[in-house]
Amino acid sequence: MSLYWGKQFFEFFALLWVRFIQALRGDVVTLASDEVQVLVLVGVAISASLVGTFLVLKRMTMLANSLSHTILIGLVIAFVLSLSHANGGHFGLNLKILMIASVVTALLTVFFTDFLERVIKLPKDASIGLVFTTLFALGVTLVTLFARNSHLEVEAVMGNVDALHAHDVKLMAYVAGFNLVVTLLFYKEYKVTAFSPSFSATIGISPFLFNFLLMIQTAGTAIGAFRAVGVLLVLAFLVMPPLAARFLTHHLGRLIWVSAGIGILASLLAVAMSRHILTVYAIPVSTAGLVVCFLGALYFISYLSKLTFRAFWP
Amino acid sequence: MEIGFFQLFTDPIFRAPMIGSLLISLAMGVVGVILFIRRRLLIGEALSHAVYPGIVVSAMVAALFFSFPGEDEGLFVLVGAFLSALAGLFFLDFLERKMRMYSDAALCFMLSLFFGVGVLLVSRIQLTHAAWYKQVQVFLYGQAATLDDRHLLPLGILSIVCIVVVALLYRLIQWASFDRQYIQGRGGKVKVLDALLNLLLLLSLSIGMRTVGVVLLAGMLIAPAVAARFWTKHLSSFFILSGLFGLVSGGIGNYLSINLPLWMGLPQFALPTGPTILLTASVLAFVSMLCAPKKGLFRRTIRFISFRYQIQKENLLKQLWKAGEEKSWGYTKLVSFIPASAWLRFYLFCHLRVQGWIEKKGKKYGLTTDGARRAARIVRLHRLWEVYLVECLGQQKEKAHHNAEEMEHIITPELERELTRILKDPDQDPHHQPIPKV
Repeated sequence: MSLYWGKQFFEFFALLWVRFIQALRGDVVTLASDEVQVLVLVGVAISASLVGTFLVLKRMTMLANSLSHTILIGLVIAFVLSLSHANGGHFGLNLKILMIASVVTALLTVFFTDFLERVIKLPKDASIGLVFTTLFALGVTLVTLFARNSHLEVEAVMGNVDALHAHDVKLMAYVAGFNLVVTLLFYKEYKVTAFSPSFSATIGISPFLFNFLLMIQTAGTAIGAFRAVGVLLVLAFLVMPPLAARFLTHHLGRLIWVSAGIGILASLLAVAMSRHILTVYAIPVSTAGLVVCFLGALYFISYLSKLTFRAFWP
Repeated sequence: MEIGFFQLFTDPIFRAPMIGSLLISLAMGVVGVILFIRRRLLIGEALSHAVYPGIVVSAMVAALFFSFPGEDEGLFVLVGAFLSALAGLFFLDFLERKMRMYSDAALCFMLSLFFGVGVLLVSRIQLTHAAWYKQVQVFLYGQAATLDDRHLLPLGILSIVCIVVVALLYRLIQWASFDRQYIQGRGGKVKVLDALLNLLLLLSLSIGMRTVGVVLLAGMLIAPAVAARFWTKHLSSFFILSGLFGLVSGGIGNYLSINLPLWMGLPQFALPTGPTILLTASVLAFVSMLCAPKKGLFRRTIRFISFRYQIQKENLLKQLWKAGEEKSWGYTKLVSFIPASAWLRFYLFCHLRVQGWIEKKGKKYGLTTDGARRAARIVRLHRLWEVYLVECLGQQKEKAHHNAEEMEHIITPELERELTRILKDPDQDPHHQPIPKV
């Protein structure tokens, strides 16, 4: 029985706050399942906003979409690699496997798309589309062959927040930390390649290299997040908060933090709302679906707030 | 027990899935061409995910009327999917026009929002209507095997409608894709046609999800069109070939999904039909892009290499001619005229001898009269082109040489006659070298 059992929307936040204070004092020993969900989603939100802001600015979101499909191949690789580590048939990820899988996925996707576009001379949309649908179909086939018992097939696409464990928090923290470190280290490079690729090429910063690094980050985020929200809905975390934040600020640094804030807010609201609906109506609903709906709502709210600001402070 | 390919058309259980996959893949292949030539494939991809909430909602509505799925829910789902994809299309337009979003970001935004809503809704019926939930999840990866004769009629009719509409609108599609102003000039309304083509896309998406599934729907639009692109230059044969590739991959994919697990000795694994069909189509696409007779990568590479080889050969002839028509050289001296590897030099040498352009003169080698004539022609083309560049195009003398180095290998006899006529058969090039007459 979870600590949050029977709590309504606002009671949830009150209890979360109390638990937070307790955690600061060092009184919290084990995390409740709702707290695990909140922490993982917050990690996803932070990672995704660090990566997604640049994806949106560089207009690479369709490649990110492609990657969110091909990640299934990476998951199959991770699954096969982790078979020896599996504890009791449970599909676990460790950091090394995660890194290998995300690098391989990013490499496969980017290489094949580039190959079709440059060597075979297909149009860009056809090369992106052909590569990701093929790799995704391959992934689905392999998943059904290898992982019939682990529900990977549907869960990989839809996500299942309720299946999260405490070690997922640790994993997501690593992913978020990695993204944070990379973004801080290469902030200048990302900035210059995002706004002027030709200038960055002349001063010796290869746009290709940093686009690829960004793709690896995207793949890492998607693999880290797939258990919580599924590979397709990671895309919502990547794209929606930065787009919403663009209504509120025009400064790159602030854009990242505002979009992280929007992502975190949506995650908190979604977990609370999912608990609320379960308490009041006794219906379990998908938290991942709720997060996306809240993200969409926050997008339109930030648009409206921009309009209001404009009306009062022209 | 293995099932033969033709048995799939007669067996009462396998008949409907087979014919269904064939027709649907055919229709999607044909519609994919329109998206391909208009560079709108990614819109197809985004809309294919937007179908999902429609499926869920229509299943929820159907659950109100029927206690158990499997009766007549097919039509409900079809309509729901169509409407939700239509909503997706309008939402996309809204995001791009009103919110001024980048078009790629708008696609991702719409896709993830619609899919998210679908996931939320489906979780609502997961426990309360388990049978319906299962029915909805079938559409995620597609399941041709559950098609039966009753489904076949509406799906078949709609696929044929798609193909007939494309055939009827063929001219208009051609104009609209390559010369939009032409339609406007003739008083036609491009927007109406665009709307019609969008409806066609939505229709093909809603019928396709049954066999390939929502997440892979876009692939069936893309792969056959890509495959067909490498075999033809004409729009009409592009449509026909793409439909054919769709048809073939539908048939083979269905056949493999049933039989491959049996061949591998793993009868307990059910290979999903949708991914298998798509993988077949992708294999066709990759084979086409590598091996197609004119545009394939192999053929293009061979053409490139043989052109480079021809240039080396002609350069050698030219150098020999310039060094002295009547002279002869030892092998080492002769091949040293061209910068190439030892093997290539030897091969070139043999080739020239076989062609009869080099002959043995005593102990040494020299040009034959035939070889000398060929070499003279190359030099003539080079110098003619230099004259043309300087006199007719006003280029500087110093710059003319480099361009002529390349053009001498490309100029055809017709072009040569024309150049001679325009320049009135000059005797000297801009560098005061004589132009040999052939």
